Amino acid sequence: MSSIWILPAEAISPQARIAAEDFLVAEAALLDDRRFDEWLQLFTDDLEYIVPTRTIRRRGNGSDVDWSSRHYDDNKASMSLRVRRLTETDVAWAEDPPSFTRRLISNYRYAAGPGETELTVKTNLLLFRSRGISGQHDLIAGERTDVLRLVEGRLKIAKRHVVLDQATLGTKNLGVFL
Amino acid sequence: MSHVTHPEKLYDRLRATVRPEEGAIPLFVYSDPEVYRLELERLFGRVWLFVAHESELEEEGAFVVRQMGEQSVIVARGDDGEIRTFLNACRHRGMKLTSEDCGVASMWRCPYHGFTFANYGNFMGTPFERAAYPPNGLDRERLRLIEARCESYAGLIFATWDKDGPSLPDFLGDLRWYLDIFAGRAQMELVGEAQRWIIPSSWKLPSENFASDAYHTATAHAFLARLGLVRGVDFGRDGYHVDAGGGHGLGMGVHDDRPGSWFPQELEPEYAAKLSPDQLALLHRVKNFHGNVFPNLSFLIPNFIPVDGQLVTGMMLRMWQPVGPDRLMAWSWFLVEKNAPAWWKEKGRRMYVQTFSSGGMFDQDDTENWEAQTEVANSALTRPDEVMLDYTMGLDATPLSDFPGPGDVYDGKFSEAAARSYYRTWLDLLLEEGR
Ligand code: FES
Ligand SMILES: [Fe+2]
Repeated sequence: MSSIWILPAEAISPQARIAAEDFLVAEAALLDDRRFDEWLQLFTDDLEYIVPTRTIRRRGNGSDVDWSSRHYDDNKASMSLRVRRLTETDVAWAEDPPSFTRRLISNYRYAAGPGETELTVKTNLLLFRSRGISGQHDLIAGERTDVLRLVEGRLKIAKRHVVLDQATLGTKNLGVFL
Repeated sequence: MSHVTHPEKLYDRLRATVRPEEGAIPLFVYSDPEVYRLELERLFGRVWLFVAHESELEEEGAFVVRQMGEQSVIVARGDDGEIRTFLNACRHRGMKLTSEDCGVASMWRCPYHGFTFANYGNFMGTPFERAAYPPNGLDRERLRLIEARCESYAGLIFATWDKDGPSLPDFLGDLRWYLDIFAGRAQMELVGEAQRWIIPSSWKLPSENFASDAYHTATAHAFLARLGLVRGVDFGRDGYHVDAGGGHGLGMGVHDDRPGSWFPQELEPEYAAKLSPDQLALLHRVKNFHGNVFPNLSFLIPNFIPVDGQLVTGMMLRMWQPVGPDRLMAWSWFLVEKNAPAWWKEKGRRMYVQTFSSGGMFDQDDTENWEAQTEVANSALTRPDEVMLDYTMGLDATPLSDFPGPGDVYDGKFSEAAARSYYRTWLDLLLEEGR
């Protein structure tokens, strides 16, 4: 897999790029519209959904992404539980009344693989979140790395890693999906 | 000395309205800015505060940067092997010596003018020292870093600015018996860096919640029962409520008709070597374990949702760092037995992250309450009347006489005894009563 994320045009077909982009834009719309049951269908059964923490380090003092400490450390079963909490109960207080969210997905970068039928897509995420009547909002920014897999003719998300751009999150909880 | 404008008026109001023994606490204390000034000075300025775990500082020169109240401190293992806590402040103009979260260093060189301090606190020199401070340079002793007292218990490192206060074991008191079970039953390690996030809440609300409030789980965390993961209300009721004195409190969920927590066989010999038979028996009975070391270090064994079909035991350490009267920074860590098999560490981490963390299914709902309580508390700052809150649950209950552990232990978790004790300790410190 290329580490610089700039590939010769022939490596990823325009059709594949358009399909991936349309897929991720539609996925974001499902989240913003809070259609969580449909959203969950977009994941493969072997989903890996991980959000590492960030730390403040001098240059030369190791990585500022700490994969051993995680904001999300989930698979399909736990994401299903999170979705059931939101859709099947009326006591998911953190998101009821729900936040208003708007996800902006941009700066698409593609790489083939890692699997035969897989495509890796890096994107920038800017998530606007507003709760209550205060007129305030939280902005959650980060870089997603998604592995999209072709399953029976449809794209699904097999892996999502989101590296957030704050060492201390400025939102009171991550009750919204990234 | 006090930084509060009219301390006597505030003391009188606190004396008249904070009445924990009657189960009465006034709303204003949650977020009042003058109360907060007093807290920074008399509470965070004096009591033992959690700063780090020994596992973070195994290497010589290893350091982490933490907060004591609003003050930045460096916790470091010096080249002499000793762990110390220093104010993160250069003795020249007060610049921060380091802005990293952690690192390894034999000395810190101030980024402003270059004053340099060894990792054991000594002033080492500064550029062109004899030219700048002729003829002999600066006095080494006078410029030592400002150091807090630092001690550890069960791997947990605490520090205090109070040179003459109680020792750490005396400060922890009866809580030690329970902390042994939580953090001292085996050699433990903190995994990775803390997750941090900002909650617009008074720092006291979550601290009190972890010390004393099992009752909220049936409502605030009702999703568990709704999804069939627990049997109704009993997950927050059955067990013990402990007022450990000194403002420390905890609750233990026990259902004797069902098996208790499950631990890997490999670790049992270590538990047995470190715990008394009574502590070991209790460890195997508890389903969950929550508490707070006064004032703001919470601990938890969540054991609520299946991870790959197993109810493993994930452990959490959580610091509620004040960043203003109505804001806090949560610092959250996964704590695990160092000698545990890899699968146990991995499943435990997932249990912790999925239940209690920035994105945890429980934590999310709690933040909603604490934020709204804090907002409401701000209304008490201008109201003509005194809004009093009810803290009477279990006021007439008698502690068990045959429980093997110390402290006032109540049968059943529905009690606010530990919250009353929390505010008694808090009030005495603020008013400097008994000093
Ligand atoms: S402030 Fe540190 S050297 Fe001047
Ligand atoms: Fe809670």
